[in-house]
Amino acid sequence: MPRILIVDDHPFIRRGIQSILKAFPEWELCGEAENGADAIKLAKDTHPEVVIMDISMPGIGGIDATRAIHQMDPSAKIILLTLHDSPDLVRNAFRAGASGFLLKVDAERELMKALAIVVADGSYISPRVPTDVVNAVTHELKRPRRARTA
Amino acid sequence: MLAAPSSLQTEKSFTDKSSSGKVDARMSTKPLRILIADDHDIIRRGLRQLIHSHPGWEVCAEAKTGREAVSLAEQHSPDIIVMDISMPELNGLEAAQRIHKMLPKTGIAILSLHFSDQLVRDIVAAGARAYITKSDADRDLVSAVEALANRRTFFTPRAAEILLSGFSDARTGAAVESGPRERLTPREREIVQLLAEGNSSKEVAVALGISVKTAETHRANIMRKLELHSVSELVRYAVKNQIIEA
Repeated sequence: MPRILIVDDHPFIRRGIQSILKAFPEWELCGEAENGADAIKLAKDTHPEVVIMDISMPGIGGIDATRAIHQMDPSAKIILLTLHDSPDLVRNAFRAGASGFLLKVDAERELMKALAIVVADGSYISPRVPTDVVNAVTHELKRPRRARTA
Repeated sequence: MLAAPSSLQTEKSFTDKSSSGKVDARMSTKPLRILIADDHDIIRRGLRQLIHSHPGWEVCAEAKTGREAVSLAEQHSPDIIVMDISMPELNGLEAAQRIHKMLPKTGIAILSLHFSDQLVRDIVAAGARAYITKSDADRDLVSAVEALANRRTFFTPRAAEILLSGFSDARTGAAVESGPRERLTPREREIVQLLAEGNSSKEVAVALGISVKTAETHRANIMRKLELHSVSELVRYAVKNQIIEA
């Protein structure tokens, strides 16, 4: 039974996600956090299969928390929740180890699809993200890593 | 209710405290009808869940844009409206102003992403009587709706301070954002939003049912009044004043 950790500083978003998951009992909620630091601790303690995490939170942001969790447990699938879809954001998300990039405006409709895809080892990007952005990011991620400045 | 490890929960449990305790007098009378407005489905879902978990409250309608909020308010005459400030087409502030004129008895609560000193006064001027930030919403929303239902206001201490300090700012001549500049008309504010969302003058004209020439005249007036010189400056102004989301 895949277990999910929800991380977002907005309680309505956490409630909304919980409410959707209620209809799908094969998914289990194993914890919630409001910030990156708590997310990392909870992930360490509970080893969720999936983490749904907001990119913009006070303190350690979602991208840095993704990097930390991914390094600690590469098998955890991380879906980043975001308001925006700039190419840099998408690129940074996947570089940090995320498996999914979900726009908040699509979250209700796309959540279950995103979960199914990442748990099957796939990568998920909101359909709203323009194709050229997706192509640029996948192209870049395929290139061998070399030293980059931030 | 799914269990969660309690050690690292940084906020209170979702078992709604108000549903287990004292009897709500409203339960024996009509339900409190609440209209919710937010462009994110997932947030409306969370709002719905919170409202329905409170006995005697119900969501009577949901809106995705400011325009929908205004027309649904007209149709349903809700007791309370909970509205996000940044929505496409017509933002929460503009919608609040129109709804307040139409339905002066309806209590309006404005939700915003960040706390903005400038917005507090604008929100009150628009007719809203409660201001909540999204991150504190779980804690504050119930209190805000209860206050509005009892014809009281809900402002956090910080917001209340801003409202009270309004006069002293004018006296000391401190530079206030909306101070020396001419105030925009409601139509102009509407156009600021459409322009900042990336619409051309032609698209603005079509959206509002006015001529392109009129739209361009408005645009020129707006740029002059706000002392802006480019679209990117306009966007920055719109973000800063939470007319659109960053």
